[in-house]
Amino acid sequence: MSLGRFALKRSLQGIGVVWGVITVVFALRFVTPGSPINAVAPLDASQETRQAIAAELGLDQPLYVQYGRYVFELLQGDMGRSYIRGQEVTTLVFERLPATVELAVAASVVAIVLAIPLGVISATNRNDPVDYGATLLSLGGISTPNFWLGIMLILIFAVEFNIFNTSGRGVDVGDVALSVVNAEPFVGTLLTWLAYITLPAIALGTYFMALITRLTRSGMLDELSQGYVQAARAKGLPRTLIRYKHALRNTLIPVITVLGLQLGTLIGGAVITEAVFSWPGLGTLVIESINQRDWPALQGSLIVIGTSFVLVNILVDVVYAYLDPEVVTD
Amino acid sequence: MVSSRVIRNLKKEFRQSGLAKLGLALVVIIVLAAVFAPFIAPHNPNDQQLNQSELPPIGFSQTEERTSSQMVDGEIQTVTEEVEITADPAHVFGTDGLGRDMFSRVVYGARTSLVVGVLGTLLAASIGVPVGLLAGYHRGRVDDALMRIADISLAFPSLVLAVALIGLWGRAAVNVPDPFVVAGLAPEMPSSFVLPITVVIVVGLVNWVWFARVARGEALSLRGQEYVKASRALGAGDNTIILRHVLPNAITPIIVLGTVQVAAIILLESSLSFLGFSGTTLSWGFDIAQGRDYVSSGQWWIASIPGLAIMLSVIGINLLGDWLRDALDPGIEGEGGAA
Repeated sequence: MSLGRFALKRSLQGIGVVWGVITVVFALRFVTPGSPINAVAPLDASQETRQAIAAELGLDQPLYVQYGRYVFELLQGDMGRSYIRGQEVTTLVFERLPATVELAVAASVVAIVLAIPLGVISATNRNDPVDYGATLLSLGGISTPNFWLGIMLILIFAVEFNIFNTSGRGVDVGDVALSVVNAEPFVGTLLTWLAYITLPAIALGTYFMALITRLTRSGMLDELSQGYVQAARAKGLPRTLIRYKHALRNTLIPVITVLGLQLGTLIGGAVITEAVFSWPGLGTLVIESINQRDWPALQGSLIVIGTSFVLVNILVDVVYAYLDPEVVTD
Repeated sequence: MVSSRVIRNLKKEFRQSGLAKLGLALVVIIVLAAVFAPFIAPHNPNDQQLNQSELPPIGFSQTEERTSSQMVDGEIQTVTEEVEITADPAHVFGTDGLGRDMFSRVVYGARTSLVVGVLGTLLAASIGVPVGLLAGYHRGRVDDALMRIADISLAFPSLVLAVALIGLWGRAAVNVPDPFVVAGLAPEMPSSFVLPITVVIVVGLVNWVWFARVARGEALSLRGQEYVKASRALGAGDNTIILRHVLPNAITPIIVLGTVQVAAIILLESSLSFLGFSGTTLSWGFDIAQGRDYVSSGQWWIASIPGLAIMLSVIGINLLGDWLRDALDPGIEGEGGAA
């Protein structure tokens, strides 16, 4: 099978999964006690008013009609109107999504930039104090609840030293880029951006930093004991070249797959990190929609979260297949 | 099933690994705290002593500004004075905003974390393991269906799905009588343990898929083994083969995963309690949420101490998991399933 066909096959499977995601999210409303009308109707609404609301929202239709209509509208990018905010859910969700993506990407960058060198150093200095230090650090990292870490960071850096902002988003990364074009003070905008994003990115990224360090360390140890490394060494290739070009490359392939699977943890972590730092992302929207029984907003957010997970994993699989062509032949 | 070779490996690995000893020590401390909470906790964890609120832990003191109205030269004036609040030896970890003893709350919090962690893992395993074994053993349509369900299930982050289900279904809790208190051995303590049952069910439903994946992988590789084929040739039925031959040989990675899952579910439970999606108020995550409001006014210990308790328990369980993995089967990776 060629890489192109593999990508096509994975995409078709992905469409099936996304359809499943939509169906599960739709079904959620019907396994939940209480009518969605309660979220909209006043407490003392008469039976007639309730029926009128049900008719307006299409809730009086048979289940399959509601489902069919939901999927049909969804295909046109219409996720309905929020019960509480009155806004189009599509607008609402895509207003919030960039903030979450920005936070997740920032956290991943923090994690990867620190973890890969740490894992390599740890593996190449096995049983040295450096290795023990890195091992303890990563053990602590995978065992620390990120919301608590966030609060501790606020306590130390914001309350004690008053360095960072702890609530909200300030400017977004687009503003930073635009400040160059608009000849605004670039450094100032950049610093504002950093003041807001640094602490949440560290709080969210630490778990992944720890996880990637562990994976890189064990992967490198594995690779360094392989025959090809010994052969390269015997041929007299420089140690740095062997470590970084050969061993690290092979180590990173499985690391990428695990990261794809852990994307759910990243998004889940983002939800709670957003709650700690009042970050205006999708996570806060999910929690608000649940508490207000705002079904369209909740369904929309869950579908977007589920779909992003599926898309990223298809991408990861295709990259994996490109790096390791053996996968395609399965 | 547990052969002398397995026990020998466990002992050997334990002797060699300082981290395994640390892990076991941490887990033993937490289990003892959870089981014997009524005897270890010096105060009732729910008792509010408002005149004793916000006391710092032993070894720390706190200055606080207090304003009071006083008559000065016939006029009422507001006077601000700095008061030094010192620790009370009766409250080792200090007290929270309502004057509840933090140490007692940490001890009792261990119960919630451990019970939810263990019951949630057992539930997840009891759904995931049979499904995974059947799918991997039979392959074909059952397997395809399982893999698609697993894909869909993985597309929702555990925490998001758990928050949604608990938020929508409600935060039910069951009161389980505390045998020590009922027997009159610790009359001052809460007479029952509040088990957040929705949380247990939801974390089980959310995390079963990790067990299904591991069990399926094992069944896939074991079904082609000679002894399985031989057993089939001798006329054994599928269910017999799965129970007698596949399950016992698949148990090692399942146990290792189970250990990691207890840690992951403790983290998940604390996140849920922190966000207010739990059925109990006696939980480390809940206390961190309470303590958060005191961070900016200087009462750092209310949020810090329960978090340290979570971290130490999860470190302990993860170390135990590493030890089991290294001793039982050096070939398996233990990174599956996180909060």
